[in-house]
This record gives sequence, structure tokens and C-alpha cells, in this order.
Amino acid sequence: MELFLQQIANGLVIGSTYAVVALGFALAFTVLRVINFAHPDIFMVGMFAGLVAGVQFPEGGLLLAIVVGAVVAGVVGFLIERAVIRPLRGRDVLSTLIGTLGVAIMLQNGMAIIAGPDPVAYPLLLPRKMIDIGPVALTFKQIVNFGICVLLLAFVSFYVRGTRIGRATRAIAERPDVAAAFGINVGLICTVTIVIASMMGGVAAVSVGTLYGSAWAFVGLLYGLKAFTCMLVAGNRYFEGVMVVGLAIGVIEALVTGYISSSLKDAVAFFVLIGVLYFRPNGLFGSYST
Amino acid sequence: MTTPLLKIEDLEVSYGKVPAVNGVSLEIFPGDLRVVLGANGAGKSTIIKAIMGLQKPRGGSIRFDGDTDLLRLKPHKIHALGIAWVPEARQLWNTLTVIDNLRLGGWCVPDAAVVERRIQEMFERFPRLGERRDQVSGLLSGGEQQMVAIARALISAPRLILMDEPSLGLAPLVVRDVFTLTREINAMGIAVLMVEQNARQALKVANWAYLLEVGHIVESGPAAEIAGKESVREVFLGGSA
Repeated sequence: MELFLQQIANGLVIGSTYAVVALGFALAFTVLRVINFAHPDIFMVGMFAGLVAGVQFPEGGLLLAIVVGAVVAGVVGFLIERAVIRPLRGRDVLSTLIGTLGVAIMLQNGMAIIAGPDPVAYPLLLPRKMIDIGPVALTFKQIVNFGICVLLLAFVSFYVRGTRIGRATRAIAERPDVAAAFGINVGLICTVTIVIASMMGGVAAVSVGTLYGSAWAFVGLLYGLKAFTCMLVAGNRYFEGVMVVGLAIGVIEALVTGYISSSLKDAVAFFVLIGVLYFRPNGLFGSYST
Repeated sequence: MTTPLLKIEDLEVSYGKVPAVNGVSLEIFPGDLRVVLGANGAGKSTIIKAIMGLQKPRGGSIRFDGDTDLLRLKPHKIHALGIAWVPEARQLWNTLTVIDNLRLGGWCVPDAAVVERRIQEMFERFPRLGERRDQVSGLLSGGEQQMVAIARALISAPRLILMDEPSLGLAPLVVRDVFTLTREINAMGIAVLMVEQNARQALKVANWAYLLEVGHIVESGPAAEIAGKESVREVFLGGSA
């Protein structure tokens, strides 16, 4: 029972980071109808930006690293939207998919040239200590990481449900034409959406870098695939669905690691994907048609 | 002679190589309620989409209020001029609540208090919608959805409303309500351009009618006159009975 609870806690911690990256995908896809394959590498750039901030200004602590990670990721996201996504939007889905995939490869290899192809040690931005919560023991880093991700998820939920611009964002996701015909500047909201998704990715990236103690030019690959899988499993109709699936995949991974084998861990998300899509091709919570 | 609120000249629209609208000219004056009658595929909805900026025409001109060239504007700018749209088959934001649909109808109104006040007026006018304000609009009945679609278009207090087949897919009693409502909207001083297949009802409320056949206007005139024409009676009104 203790192993079970411990693995659920570990799973929620890692799942919350999947959920944040998956939400970035889902925001871009539902609002712009674009699969932004560069999103996980915007996350990676944010991770390195936070690393540099943490090394150069250690007195700034985690907060400064997060702010720098978010701003840099936001700027990169903005540039990608303007330079690559916007000119290709409205053509078929493949154009933007290939365009953003190209950007992803450039970012990965560009960073590998700058920082080297191997993982780089992350500055110690949080004290090493364990905290017991009932039968479960978590590191302070895990708890902070989970807290940050939950805050981000709560922010997105509030943003899309409780704000005027979030309402317009959902309107564009469902019917872009009607939204435009009611005066909503679709292009502007697309840019805002990408920047918000990128900044969230940047925040989560610094948190994940701190959690694992390293940054890596190719970290986006596996994160991206898993996050993308979360979006497909959930379907893109409800952002909250994507969050739930992200958390669930983290938990399932942790349980598989605990009870079966850690070498199977990375396959879990894809087993879930195949299983779910076989029975529900539009995802668990439904999708908008494209 | 007043200037027309909306003036369309020689409009040509095609989908790929397939022409949908072929040299259509029509105009609508302040206070008008005009209807474009046509069968499926005659090009009715295409005209509305071209006005809203959602479909780029190949030729012709669309001018609003004398000299504003709509073809140069993006859809969100066109709406801001005072043109609201009641789309074919409602096209509500089905995952949003009734009240959120209405709030988005007031996106261009700078004063949020004005939007909330107009929403309250709509709830007084359509008590059913008031009861269902927090329901997701996709769960409403067809008639209720049409009320939301019309209310959504009214929130911005437009000068012109474009109605795309408002009677489509509704029960006969509801259809009558929709046409009555259209007349009331027009009586509020809002010009209405409606495209319809339901000629019998539309000709009762409209003051002017155009007949559209495969992308051409074949007849136009006062609604009462059009309703009396033998050719119209045969095609649209089910014989001369």
C-alpha cells in the first residue's frame, strides 16, 4: 500500500509536467488548428534560459530563473508564430506541421551546438530535503514542481473560462469564422495563445530542470511525444480533459515503474494511446473537427 | 433619394472553378427588410459570406453606408461597422453557455455594462433564454438556439442584420415566431437582409424581394408584387392555389 501511494504521488508530480506541455499543444491546436511541433523545443529553450539565469545570478533563485525561462520561451514562441506559423496557416495541416518540425530540429541542434549534445547540470535552485506527507515521502523539489504545474493548470482553466479574452479563445477554437464575424481579431488571439502556451512551457521547463537537475538539448523529443499523446488521448475539446490525461499518464507510468519495470515506463503512454483511440477515435472527451 | 446602407454590384464568387454567384447586384436601404429567395445551391449563403468578408469574391463590389469598401476589410472590421450575422443553422458556440454566446455577441461594444444591460433586455424578451443562461448552448432545442443566434446578433446594436435561412430545420410554429421576430427587429429600425427558401413566410414580412437562380438575380421588386407573379408561385409557393 505504501509503494502504491508513493508511486501515485511520484506519478502526479511527473504527470503535472506532462499536463502543462500537453496543454501548450492543445491550446495551439484548438485555437490555430496547428500542430506546433516546435512547442516541446520552446520548452527546452526555456529550460536552458532558466539554467543560464540560475548560473549567472544565483541570488535570484528559482523565481528569477522561472521569469527568465518564461520570457525567453514567450519570445521564441512569438517569433515562431510570426515567422513560420502565420504565413503557413490556412494551407493544409501538413504545411504547418512540417514547418514547425523544421523549427524544432533547428532549435534542438542549435542548442546542441551551443550547450553540447549531452545533458548539462542544472544549478541547485532549491534545497535538498525530503518531506513526509503521511505515508508518502517526496523531495522538496517534487513538491515545488507539482505546485508550480498545478498553478499553471489552474491559470489556464481560469483564463479560458473566466476571462473575456479566454472566452474569445474558446469561440475561435470552436468556430473561427463566426468568431471573426463577431468582431474578434483572430490573428491577434492566435499570437496571444502561442505566447501564453510558450511562457507556460518555459515556467514548467525551469521547474522540470530543477527537479531532474539537468537540462538537455533533446529533452523536447520524449516530452513532446508524450504531451502530444496526452492531447490525442484526451481529445482537444476540453482543456481540462488534457490536464486529467496528463496527470493520469504520469500516474500510470509511475505504477508501471513501481510494480513492473522502469524500462516499460516510456511505452505506457503509447499503449494508452492505442487502446483509447481504438475505442474512441476522437479521444476520451471528444475533439473539434478540423 | 437616400443612399443605400449596403450596395452590392456585379458580385462574382466562385469556389475553385465552380461559380456560385454570377454578377449579382442588390441594395438595401435603412429600414428595409429585404429577402433573397432561392433554392439550395442558388448562391444565397455565398452572398452573405461575401458581405461578412468570409468568402473572397472574384469580382464586383460591396459598399456599406455609401463609401466603405467591404472587400478591403477583414471580417472583424466589417462587424465593427454595424453588420451582424445570424448564420445558417445557427452556428452557436455549442460548448459555451448561453450567456457567454451573448457576451461574445457584444465583443465590439466597448462598455461592458452596456453589454450586460442588453443581455438582460434579451432575457426579458426571451424568458426561456434567461432560464437557460448558464446552460451550454449545444443542449438547447433548435428553436431556442435560433433565439440565441438572433439575440447574439442584436447585442452589438447593429445597423444591418444578415439572416441566413433562419427558418431552416425548425418546427412550423417556431418558424412563424422567427418571422414575427424578424419583423419586430426591423420595426426597431434595424435593416434586415434575409436569404430564405421559405418564400411564403418570407414574402409576408419582407418589403422587397429578389429571386436568385443559379447565381443570378432573375426577378426583383416589392414583396407583394413578387408574391403575385405566376412564375414565383409555381416555383416557390407550390402552384397557383
